[in-house]
Amino acid sequence: MPHRLLRFAFSKEHKEPAFFEQPACLKPSYDAVIIGGGGHGLAAAYYLAKDHGMTNIAVLEKGYLGGGNTGRNTTIVRSNYLTPEGVKFYDASVKLFQDLSEDLDINLFYSERGHFTLAHTESAMRTMRWRAEVNKHVGVESCVVGHEEITKACPQLDISCSGKAPIIGALYHAPGSIVRHDAVAWGYARGAKNLGVDIFQSTEVNGIDVKANKVVGVQTSRGYIATNQVLSAVAGFTPRICKMVDLPTPIIIQPLQACVTEPMKPWLDHILVSGSLHVYVSQSSRGELVMGAALDPYEMHSTRSSLEFVEGLSSHILDMFPFLSNVKIVRQWAGMADMTPDFAPIMGKTPIEGFYLDAGWGTWGFKATPISGKSMAATIANDRAPDLIHSFRLSRFEEFELTGEKGAASVGH
Amino acid sequence: MKLLDCPINGTRPISEFVFGGEFRTMPDPGQCSDKAWADYVYNRNGAPGVKMEWWLHSPSGTWFIAERNTLTDEVLRSFLPGKEVAE
Amino acid sequence: MSTRLPQQAGEWIDREQPLRFSFEGREYAAFEGDTITSALWANGEKALGRSFKYHRPRGILSFANHDINVMVTDGVDTNIRGDVVKVRDGMQLHAVNTSGGVKKDRNRYLDAISALLPVGFYYKAFHTPRQLFPFWENIVRKAAGLGIVNFSFPRITKPKLHRFCNLLVVGAGPAGMAAALAAAEAGLQVFLVDENSELGGSLGYDHAAGSESRMLLADYLHRISNQPNITVFREAYAGAYYTDHLVPVVQSSGITKVRAGSVIVASGAFEQPPVFRNNDLPGVMLGSAAQRLIRRYAIRPFEQGVVLTANTYGYRVALDLIAAGVKILAVVDLRAGGESGNLHDQVAAHGIAIHRGSCVYEAKPAADKLSVAAAVICAYDEQTNSADTRNAFEIPCDGIAMSAGWAGASGLLYQAGTKMRYDDSVQQFIPDNLPEGVFAAGKVNGVFDLQARIDDGVRAAHLALRHLGKPAQDIRAPVHTGSSPSHPYPFVPHAKGKNFVDFDEDLSLKDFSNAAQEGFNNIELMKRFTTVGMGPSQGKHSNMNAIRILAKIRGLPVDKVGTTTSRPFFHPTPIGHLAGRSFHPHRQTAMHTWHKNTGAVFTAVGAWLRPAYYQTAGRSKAENIQQEVLAVRHHAGLIDSSTLGKIEICGPDAAVFLERFYTGSFASQPAGHSRYALLLDESGVIVDDGVVARLSPELFYATTSTANAAAVFREMQRWQQIWQLDIGLVNVTGAYAAMNLAGPQAQAILSKLCPLDLCDTGFPVGAVRETQIQGMAVRIIRVAFVANLAYEIHTSASDAQPLWQAITAAGSPLGLRPFGTEAQRLLRLEMGHLIVGHDTDGLTNPYEIGAEWAIKMEKDFFIGKRSLQIIQKKALKKRLVPFMLANPVSSEMPQECNLVIAGNEIAGRITSIAVSPSCSQTIGLAFVAPELGTPGTHFRIRTDSGAMVEAVVMTIPFISAKEES
Repeated sequence: MPHRLLRFAFSKEHKEPAFFEQPACLKPSYDAVIIGGGGHGLAAAYYLAKDHGMTNIAVLEKGYLGGGNTGRNTTIVRSNYLTPEGVKFYDASVKLFQDLSEDLDINLFYSERGHFTLAHTESAMRTMRWRAEVNKHVGVESCVVGHEEITKACPQLDISCSGKAPIIGALYHAPGSIVRHDAVAWGYARGAKNLGVDIFQSTEVNGIDVKANKVVGVQTSRGYIATNQVLSAVAGFTPRICKMVDLPTPIIIQPLQACVTEPMKPWLDHILVSGSLHVYVSQSSRGELVMGAALDPYEMHSTRSSLEFVEGLSSHILDMFPFLSNVKIVRQWAGMADMTPDFAPIMGKTPIEGFYLDAGWGTWGFKATPISGKSMAATIANDRAPDLIHSFRLSRFEEFELTGEKGAASVGH
Repeated sequence: MKLLDCPINGTRPISEFVFGGEFRTMPDPGQCSDKAWADYVYNRNGAPGVKMEWWLHSPSGTWFIAERNTLTDEVLRSFLPGKEVAE
Repeated sequence: MSTRLPQQAGEWIDREQPLRFSFEGREYAAFEGDTITSALWANGEKALGRSFKYHRPRGILSFANHDINVMVTDGVDTNIRGDVVKVRDGMQLHAVNTSGGVKKDRNRYLDAISALLPVGFYYKAFHTPRQLFPFWENIVRKAAGLGIVNFSFPRITKPKLHRFCNLLVVGAGPAGMAAALAAAEAGLQVFLVDENSELGGSLGYDHAAGSESRMLLADYLHRISNQPNITVFREAYAGAYYTDHLVPVVQSSGITKVRAGSVIVASGAFEQPPVFRNNDLPGVMLGSAAQRLIRRYAIRPFEQGVVLTANTYGYRVALDLIAAGVKILAVVDLRAGGESGNLHDQVAAHGIAIHRGSCVYEAKPAADKLSVAAAVICAYDEQTNSADTRNAFEIPCDGIAMSAGWAGASGLLYQAGTKMRYDDSVQQFIPDNLPEGVFAAGKVNGVFDLQARIDDGVRAAHLALRHLGKPAQDIRAPVHTGSSPSHPYPFVPHAKGKNFVDFDEDLSLKDFSNAAQEGFNNIELMKRFTTVGMGPSQGKHSNMNAIRILAKIRGLPVDKVGTTTSRPFFHPTPIGHLAGRSFHPHRQTAMHTWHKNTGAVFTAVGAWLRPAYYQTAGRSKAENIQQEVLAVRHHAGLIDSSTLGKIEICGPDAAVFLERFYTGSFASQPAGHSRYALLLDESGVIVDDGVVARLSPELFYATTSTANAAAVFREMQRWQQIWQLDIGLVNVTGAYAAMNLAGPQAQAILSKLCPLDLCDTGFPVGAVRETQIQGMAVRIIRVAFVANLAYEIHTSASDAQPLWQAITAAGSPLGLRPFGTEAQRLLRLEMGHLIVGHDTDGLTNPYEIGAEWAIKMEKDFFIGKRSLQIIQKKALKKRLVPFMLANPVSSEMPQECNLVIAGNEIAGRITSIAVSPSCSQTIGLAFVAPELGTPGTHFRIRTDSGAMVEAVVMTIPFISAKEES
């Protein structure tokens, strides 16, 4: 039993230090302002302080820390993407994740479960092979497996999917993991705070002042901040922030829904994704099945739930696991996904000097939290985007140089 | 399931409709700059608010324009392109 | 020992129908109508389950599905909620989540070491050293979860119904029943939904020892059953509220999706547990739970006990308990002022000690720790929320009834978008601003007096009438008078803790103050850190208390703390119910039966089923495919290509439309000819290809790929809406069938069937003819996709099978065989043709596949042209080339999507590869870097295993006409 728990048992007082302490008020100026207190924004703040020694930083969060998509995703971390640029980027993220519990001294329950992307058709199998080959080339552990291997790993799965969409094989990605998502934001927040970053919750940005195409300040519900560097890391709110500086982007917002069952004793060890059936599922450390499906089919800036989502998902999950008929869904919820035309993020500098974008995270943002934070911190500190995120630049659209991750995201997750 | 008004077929559940994206006016391809064209092709008015959108009533093949608030998901009106009633 | 009472008026059990069941291996008697919990309680069993985290014994708390203390398995199903699921004869039940049974759960040691496991402990331990985490994780995972899933549980498909009504009333308590009756009498079609098996809500059990409620209920039930406009859904819960008044009503038989004109939420309130040490011991229960036991199931909740209260309701509970023969030893009222008035006097008249300004400091367990044995009572200071134990005394008892307040069952109201506010007069969140067509009545609306609830129901009915455009009265909302039904802060701190707030998650008072101290002092952060309200009862008995605690810690009014977001479902809802019957439709072509009878092995292409190949006796799949290929190359083959998209474009502007839509030129196309049609999107990416045949000056017939048929037609319709040309568009994909007759004998076969001049000059490649075959009208296009000589024959779907048989009959003597998609893929590869979507991806532009010839840049406009003008200026990044393996494959055949490697870099990818029986080579198509694209260039392919295979760039077609014969 780790000694830390013994300390709890034998101390009369709860001496744990606070994760977050909010300063009484804003400073009049900061070297950089990060809009968005989700995983990405907090990670950027942490790495700015840790890697670049920039600590005069404010993180502004409209609601509460990690309350956006950081706390609404299905907690899957993986790097089995399609383009070499994407695979390298997410692989760097996975590597940071593997060390993150120790780095932040918080148990994130980073749990390597192995990730199967199921293929029900020959054409899906081709895509799996494409991804596997690119992954291997970049040094990421992925391979194409036949249905026998899937059955061996997950004997409960009905490999014929009730005869409706038999599984032929899968892309197996051993490093695929699940994480306690909220804790990622909390760990980064505490880490950043301990290094001197100011974090403000319930603080809304009302405007960004730009003079001569240069950022000069931020108007907030707590007052004005003079600053020359602003990072927008607000996922579903990106178009609103970009509108403040008249920056057009291709981003549109579509809800992404998920749901969770009541807890049951663990039986599903792996993470399973089916593009054809629009399902992804894993079992959390609490014993709940955490499940999601494809994006909602139209643009909307809200987190309402829909019945058709949970009906469709239920039907498909039963095709895979018919014995779940009487298992109950406890709760459904939604996040706002900031989608891009090529299913790749938009990161780096913008035509406005001092305005940096960390956006376009669609359904793939949580798994990129550490590396996006690190990359954006480097971008702000050096006013230059690192090579790792070059292909995610905003200008790729007007350059007709799209990145092409669309093929990897057969189902959002 | 949400309900949507098709200008031809009346109120129908949203499952009968296909979202066609924001209604945009194409710049003159012969006159506009490459940058303006790229802006038309890729960029979207992604901020929440009342927008004109393409919707298809799939069973009947009716494309129409709906004016919808993307924040509240309220549809203010829907009409066939070019058949917009003067306000 | 049985605690069953004599027959109670309106009881829910049928004493004529006794039954037997077992729990944890012991046999018990019960009556039809008993729930699992009531049956066990009637038999004197109190420890009915073990808690999630500390494995503490648990009994009845709410007895209303607002907690999950009693979760059992019958060996087949699991996580069965004992409080509300009826017991059946012969059931063999066990509690879930125990090791060795409820009474002797070996995991009960966790309770003793709970100090080691404070809130959020798992964030603080086990992660260093990293290598040991999997060890700890394994232990944590094993401890997680409740029931064990039965992997052989059958798939249950429940039907779904769609129903419509003017008004949906959720909850059939006094407010709901009054609302339903008022609306129905005014002519509305009303659905009245209640989760219980009998209507009436609290009228059925909250009697304060009187009979008025019972009489009133009888009157309501009579009126409702005689009101034809009311449809009652019993044992049915409104699962959620979705946009535009869609409410799934969930019953054990399935879900009814109700679309209502308006909704009245009269869902009542959840009684909330006051928080003191050991408030979870079996025997400690909510007052309303005790009342339900008495009136519904005729069970004396306990023999002698204490009522802990902080409102008027506790005195009603006391009177009901007394009437049931319970010896009430004390009424303990948290309020310094206590209660005054009639109810107080009635309780006092029984000679019961009433301790105002007092609390239950703790409940003491019996020796076996499985139930309550005593209540420790002492003074309580409402101002400081502290207990003064100096004069504490102990009352031995086997039960404590708790009534200190309520939380509105507001889930549906939140989901509908209601703005709520905290009302100090009732110490409860109540609706402030309701969305259109949604109304609230009764306790959920902060109305507690019985007559006021009835009036509130009628008021809501009139609001619904007005919303629906019917005549309605203005009825003023009742105003709450008197003491608050809820105590603002019913918490008794205790140094030793175990004063539970969330029973699902084993969270006690200290967990919340610790969480706040660690910075989780926002209600949402607190929820996520402590997991309050995240268990299966979704905070029904815990969220309100959590909010009160946080408000106190932060020194804020409750209103400022706010609530967490309410999400579907009201009660957890089975996946099988939500899934329904699960349709997976397929489309079959007109010749499907023939294919089936001829041994076709089908493959799904989108929704369509197509023959992949035809199985013949004694041959393997590969041999069959090879035979089909050879037949087409040397004799003839026939493939069903009905799944192609087929669209007619007619009218004076038809050619203008096609010129704009596709990249090619159609204005100059003569009638009787067909042309390749390439479709781009506005960014210049290839979307689809097909053939456009001009049948007459104003009639074109276009084909699309199978996969894109619907999408291409949709785009045509959309652009037509923009362009407003003088054309008509008809999608004849399903109305027409098509078949492709290919191979050197194709001409000979066709000539037997139709009078057309089929010679190369009379019917050259690309020509289209309309004629008849055996009286059936056909359109024939000479194509060269799978073979140099091939005819695509289109006819109406109704004629397709006879036509197919006619061609087969004519062709068989000449060696004709049917062939499937597998052979087709190989045949087209031999011809050097790509398949859009197979050899292209979501970003491929025409230059990358060498389709410059199909792009008429001199046209004023076509979709994607302006983007191509930009792309044209950029250096080409990759190019699709035909290739052949340089050497015969000795071991591992490269696969499609294996990579082309140059140096150490990715230089492309194989999109198609196959062994060609006709040229006895392995041929394919690959994207390669432009510098590798010249014919004769060698490049290397890396196989799955990592081996390198040499390939050489070729020219197409791979086969020449002379190889066909």
